[in-house]
Amino acid sequence: MRRTAAVWAGKATGALSRLSGLGGGTTLPGDVARAIDPTILRKLTGDLTEGSILITGTNGKTTTARLLTSIFEGMGKRVVSNRAGANLIFGATAAALRSAGPDGKLRADWGVFEIDEASLPRAVEEIQPRIAIVLNLFRDQLDRYGELEKIAKTIEAALESIPEGAQAVLNADDPRVGEIGLGLGRTPLWFGIEDPVVAMRKLPHAADARTCPKCGASLRFSAVYLGHDGIYECPNGDFARPSPGVAATDIALQGFDSVGMNIGETRVELPVGGLYNAYNAVAAFAAGTVLGVDGQYMAERMHGFTAAFGRQEKMDFRGRRLVLVLSKNPAGFNETLRTAVDMAGATHFILGLNDRKADGTDVSWIWDVDFEQLAGRAQVVVPAGKRAHDLAVRLKYAGVEARPPQTEPGRALDDLISVTPEGATAHILCTYTAMLDIRAELVRRGWAKPYWET
Amino acid sequence: MTKKKNRFTVGWLYPDLMNIYGDRGNILTLLKRAEWRGLDARAIDLGRGAAHGMEDVDVFFFGGGQDREQALVYDDLIEIKQEPLEAAVANGSVVLAVCGGYQLLGHYYQTAEGERFPGIGLIDVRTEAGKKRFIGDVVVDTTLEDLKPTTLVGFENHSGRTFLGAGARALGRVRVGSGNNGGDGTEGCVQGGVVGTYLHGSLLPKNPHLADYLIRRALSRRGMAELAPLDDSIELAAHAKILERAQPRAGER
Ligand SMILES: [Zn+2]
Repeated sequence: MRRTAAVWAGKATGALSRLSGLGGGTTLPGDVARAIDPTILRKLTGDLTEGSILITGTNGKTTTARLLTSIFEGMGKRVVSNRAGANLIFGATAAALRSAGPDGKLRADWGVFEIDEASLPRAVEEIQPRIAIVLNLFRDQLDRYGELEKIAKTIEAALESIPEGAQAVLNADDPRVGEIGLGLGRTPLWFGIEDPVVAMRKLPHAADARTCPKCGASLRFSAVYLGHDGIYECPNGDFARPSPGVAATDIALQGFDSVGMNIGETRVELPVGGLYNAYNAVAAFAAGTVLGVDGQYMAERMHGFTAAFGRQEKMDFRGRRLVLVLSKNPAGFNETLRTAVDMAGATHFILGLNDRKADGTDVSWIWDVDFEQLAGRAQVVVPAGKRAHDLAVRLKYAGVEARPPQTEPGRALDDLISVTPEGATAHILCTYTAMLDIRAELVRRGWAKPYWET
Repeated sequence: MTKKKNRFTVGWLYPDLMNIYGDRGNILTLLKRAEWRGLDARAIDLGRGAAHGMEDVDVFFFGGGQDREQALVYDDLIEIKQEPLEAAVANGSVVLAVCGGYQLLGHYYQTAEGERFPGIGLIDVRTEAGKKRFIGDVVVDTTLEDLKPTTLVGFENHSGRTFLGAGARALGRVRVGSGNNGGDGTEGCVQGGVVGTYLHGSLLPKNPHLADYLIRRALSRRGMAELAPLDDSIELAAHAKILERAQPRAGER
């Protein structure tokens, strides 16, 4: 009875918060239901006919979860998934509640949950996943998470406790993830990128985690793909990147339009761009491989993929084209900038920086982003968000001439429109809540759908 | 000789390991502001094993690191860097140390269990482990001579409590935030040409007056005391925004 009461209370909360315009009702129902029955998530996910996949890591959780969801849904499976970045245990609980019936039972086959790094141990314990994916570990939100080292330890402990027969699917190219996986009692399935053509020659400034866990020497990279992810080894020979069992090769980057790659015998074309999405695709593909899903079928599903809100979302407004790209930490921002400038030929920008809890209250990381990439190439840059003034200073020292900072999203959009010719494309690169603010303004003006409808 | 005289050198201690809080912003600010004065500015990386050229450095920067990285630089700091750093400072070079770097320049860091890790003792401060982490915006009223504005703004994120000895004076008094130890109202330290602080965010970009203070002081040892004024409206607007938004945090001080 407690379980049914929890489900009903949670559902009512979700409906109310949507009606009252508080937002998408993405986590509050989870709080309410868990207060009534703390074991509600364990019970609900126990009803899943196939099981669950947990996805963690600094960047790419949402896209990877959506790729897997699309793969399962194409097979006629019913999938429970915590969308809209609600990746704490309450968000996962709220997602399970939404799919629960009036009898309090979950009627679904698969659970695909993106889980915040710090919440992974609890999620593993309650959800008992069949697969746990770790995408990457970049420096992110030190104010909230503390040090990367502690997060790595947390993830390692969580992976040690996944159920018997469950599979860890890990990014071989990330030295921190490699360190975790090589220390596990069970053999992980490694995924990675094998393509020297798309590699950078040297580590970007944002890179961290560059030392050998055994001897402390600085790691030697023969290829750098993204942040500190690449092909690495210790010069003293006691630590090296594991050889990936599932690898992406022959990568073709087409701005924000697409990224293509070979994974084994299969050609995969993803209709969203950037090398970081190649990682998301190969991670999802690796998980599918564990489950015996046909590669060609996965490639077809990925070809028809649509991105989540604010992640390379494209829309038209007043005769201009807008591309919204979530850019939330040095590794992510560097890569979206590189894709925008080098591959999409972007010239008009809003850059948005907020310092709410979900963005990180410490904005010092913007000094590790290579905004220098914009110098001499961007024609219009509007610094926006609560911390627009910090961005304006950063841009000045990057040699980028910027418009005046705009802390109100509406004013930032108006300023952008005033200097972007009709027919042109503008790129909006924002941290998480800065993107929510811009998007809310677009919704208010009738340009975009509210995110819980996408 | 004129070429060398026109040169401005920043020495970045352990750029790959001690660069956790956007410390690169401090380097960029020093370099650009020197460049904008027509100086030939460059940064040299002083990673593990490197000591070459330390005698030519005008401003050293020593940033914060995570525990693992801090442990990795420790031996190198004592064995390779301590001597040339002391010699350069005695010669008038300037040092800015933030967070972990600040702690390592002091006498010691004492863990919660009472174990002491000696620093290099360049400044008369000591640090003890604390339970609660101080995280948030900081506004300081600085006592540093001729600084305009008289405030410094930044962001702190530390659990260490640093206490000043008689040889060091505070960089300023905390208006918002916790500062050195959350108890005596001081933030940072100044001892000769060495400035230590918990402020990042990054520190110098939003405090261009402090950046210029460091540059001017370093150049004065070479008889170049004047710095042409720059247009700092963008930097000072960001500075003012922090003054405006920074509110005392609940339960502090
Ligand atoms: Zn090694």
